[in-house]
Amino acid sequence: MDFKNIHTRHLINLRMLMRIMGWLLMVEAVFLLFPALTSACWHEDDWLPFACTAGLTAATGALLTFRSKPTSPHMGKRDGYLLTAMVWVVFSLFGLIPFLFCDERLSFSDAFFETMSGFTTTGASVINNVDGMGHGIHLWRAMMQWLGGMGIILFTLAVIPMLNHSGGMQMFNAEVTGITHDKISPRISQTAKNLWLIYLLLTFLLIMLLWAGPMDFFDSVCHAFGAISTGGYSSHSMGISAWHDSVYVKCVLIVFMFLGGVNFGLIFKASRGNFSALRRNDVFKTYVIIIFSMLALFAASILWRGQADGWQSVTIDPLFQIVSTITSTGFTVSNFENWGPFVLSLTFVMMFFGSCAGSTSGGAKIDRILYLFKNADNELYRCVYPHSILAVKVNGRVVNPELVNKVIAFLCIYMLLIVAGGMALTALGVPLVDAFFSAFSCISNTGLGAGITGYGNSYDILPDAAKWVLSFLMLIGRLEIFTVLVLLTPAFWRR
Amino acid sequence: MKIVIAGAGEVGSHLAKLLSDEEQDIMLIDADAERLALLDANYNLMTFEGNPTSFTTLREAGAAGCDLFIAVTPYESNNIVACSIAKNLGAQTTVARIDSYDFMDPANAAHVRHMGVDRVIYPEYLAAQEIITALKRTWVRNWFELHDGRLVLAGVKLRTGAPLAGMKLRDFAYTNHHFHVSAIKRNHETIIPRGDHSLEVGDILYFTTTRDHIDDLLALTGKTEHKIRRVLIMGGSKIAVRLVNSAHGEFKFKIVESDIDICRKLPQKCPDCEIIHGDARDIDLLEDVGISEMDAFVALTASSETNIFSCLTAKELGIKKTIADVENIQFISQAENLNIGTVINKKLLASSSIFQLLLDADSSTSKCLALADAEVAEIEVREGSKITRAAVKDLKLPRELTLAGLFRDGQGQLISGATQIRPGDHVLVFCLAGALHKVERLFT
Repeated sequence: MDFKNIHTRHLINLRMLMRIMGWLLMVEAVFLLFPALTSACWHEDDWLPFACTAGLTAATGALLTFRSKPTSPHMGKRDGYLLTAMVWVVFSLFGLIPFLFCDERLSFSDAFFETMSGFTTTGASVINNVDGMGHGIHLWRAMMQWLGGMGIILFTLAVIPMLNHSGGMQMFNAEVTGITHDKISPRISQTAKNLWLIYLLLTFLLIMLLWAGPMDFFDSVCHAFGAISTGGYSSHSMGISAWHDSVYVKCVLIVFMFLGGVNFGLIFKASRGNFSALRRNDVFKTYVIIIFSMLALFAASILWRGQADGWQSVTIDPLFQIVSTITSTGFTVSNFENWGPFVLSLTFVMMFFGSCAGSTSGGAKIDRILYLFKNADNELYRCVYPHSILAVKVNGRVVNPELVNKVIAFLCIYMLLIVAGGMALTALGVPLVDAFFSAFSCISNTGLGAGITGYGNSYDILPDAAKWVLSFLMLIGRLEIFTVLVLLTPAFWRR
Repeated sequence: MKIVIAGAGEVGSHLAKLLSDEEQDIMLIDADAERLALLDANYNLMTFEGNPTSFTTLREAGAAGCDLFIAVTPYESNNIVACSIAKNLGAQTTVARIDSYDFMDPANAAHVRHMGVDRVIYPEYLAAQEIITALKRTWVRNWFELHDGRLVLAGVKLRTGAPLAGMKLRDFAYTNHHFHVSAIKRNHETIIPRGDHSLEVGDILYFTTTRDHIDDLLALTGKTEHKIRRVLIMGGSKIAVRLVNSAHGEFKFKIVESDIDICRKLPQKCPDCEIIHGDARDIDLLEDVGISEMDAFVALTASSETNIFSCLTAKELGIKKTIADVENIQFISQAENLNIGTVINKKLLASSSIFQLLLDADSSTSKCLALADAEVAEIEVREGSKITRAAVKDLKLPRELTLAGLFRDGQGQLISGATQIRPGDHVLVFCLAGALHKVERLFT
């Protein structure tokens, strides 16, 4: 019970945080073993850095876990926020080590950018010569996205039973995207397990489907991880065009990227046969509607510019690009750059929207946009009928006005951050359009580039400082702003 | 265990938090979304917004497959209906909170069961029982007796001058074989003591003993017993009415109530006691009603603060035994430190009786003892349960619980390290909050 600890409770339960951080690092170490094994299988030299990193990570984790003796297992809101934000940074710091010592070495800034981009499922890369990288590195890039897509904390909640208390609840709230956090079962660990089970099944299915097509097994795994997590790293420098623009590959990826953008709680319900949940869900409906309206606009634009050659170029290609953008995956089709500025502006809109909350995608999430538009509609109506009482209604339930305020505050800060990030980049000498586009692309975890960063080209042109700015934006974007920004407020650290 | 709780009021949310800490799957239903939002965000449980007496809600909330359905909305009839629906949908056990004796009356038991209500909790009744026990045993804080007092757990506050004060528990146990100190409540916290803990002035000690040694305990703790006859009750609340009706003329009650409308109804509800209209915080009034001749003062108004302070006043006016209803759990340990004799809390009583249910305790014999951060339960030992596998000292019991005593072959006895627990024994277990599931594991 809470009150008995009043006299002994600290602002932050540091020892408990360290212990949990230790557990998390040990989880990362296990994941690091997979690329090490892969490298070893392909007789590449990279297995050594991976194995050493895994060892180092496991040792650090074990040290933290078994050396810190928490006096109380209690974890409050502050602990939840701090731990969640820290985990993503610490994971990146350990995860970047292989990049520093592999065959194609990266500088520290580049490696951090690449790792953070992976974990936050942004998919922006600084690696120019993707084909020159070893299999281990490819797998690690894909796995980072896969782990970060559903959530590091969520994974840990599913596998470590000791987090199955209200402290785990706080971490869950700090990590999972969305305005409110729908649980699908009473215990937090059960919720995490169910979500991960869905995620695993989808990943497995995708690997099998891709493998059945033109891809070999290794590429299937890498692309499956990149697509379901809506990350967007590819194991080929040509991206998904490497398989002769295979329609099969594109179609399979469209379906799974689309699923990656749907609320996993909803997928869970649908998988239990509760399809009425899908029908009643306004967000899901809007998601589908946006995709098809965008398809019409894209197709019209492509035809207008005379870029159409064959039925694919007005159906599959734009659809692929739309789903890839709206789910913040960031895969591109080969002649996207020729579709013109209108398509680019639509891309902007979709990057901003993102897809459903509670999915693996980035962006501001359609849920919030829906709140915003419904609220704006009400405000306009009130101009004419000032005395009318109007409620924002989403998914058949009236939303409490405080929540609407929170959403609007979120969206305002989100825009401010894009502007601030863009300005910081211009100050570092990045051209205007690129600066804003990259900032936007990183905070929404999409990872597309524009202009000098180019389609398919990499972010390595940017100055080092710009990479750090963008890495920070990715983190903020993935944890949906508040979790990171709250750490920067004095109130967080004050009693 | 899958538990659905209907009603996120005081009792409901308290239960939900507690049971969630006990690693149970909790689904909490309430019609008020705002009440649920905070619980949903901060506790490891799931909430569902909806009317607890609707089939749709209960079906969607999973009442159909739950092990335990607890209806604790403010209205008795809603609770009964909710339980009835849940039972029909397939809930294993249903519990309804009631607020009239009607549903508890053995004469109506068959009807109540027929309606789909397996158990009832009546917090006011439990509170009244608790008060009556406290009035009979003025020298203890808590009194928990099993099988007609053949085994007793008593919470006693240690005062300056008590022979025990300052003694190490090891030394105490060496010289006194008839007592087992099960727990110590010290400065807001309950601890299960080890041999090197010392007994200090101001501690509330929970002794387990048998009937024959209760008088020795009085001497050891330096207490004297007062006979209570005349009781002044402040506040004509439901508990007060229940108390007066449960006492069967053993005490002489006077009720002081400040609301005239309530006063007018009281003579009907409590036929044999004197009703006074006025504010019991007024010392002149207290003297008018003859406070100096009273043996005990029971404060049962809706405000915990008023109850605590008026008990303090009554103490100053020379009343030996005071009892306060403190509904804010945070205030309980404060009130205990302020030397208010006995503190009662409906929420704790209600949750304690649910815990008994969870432990599958024989609820017909045991009475629950509600402490802020600990539970006491009597559990019957089944064939093959873990606890029977070795002598107590070899069981490696968790630190959060202690076996206080047992009841075997019609006799109460204490448990020492060498005791071997056998199937069929009734064991008295004292455990700290959050360790209930460990008890459950031991006894299965």
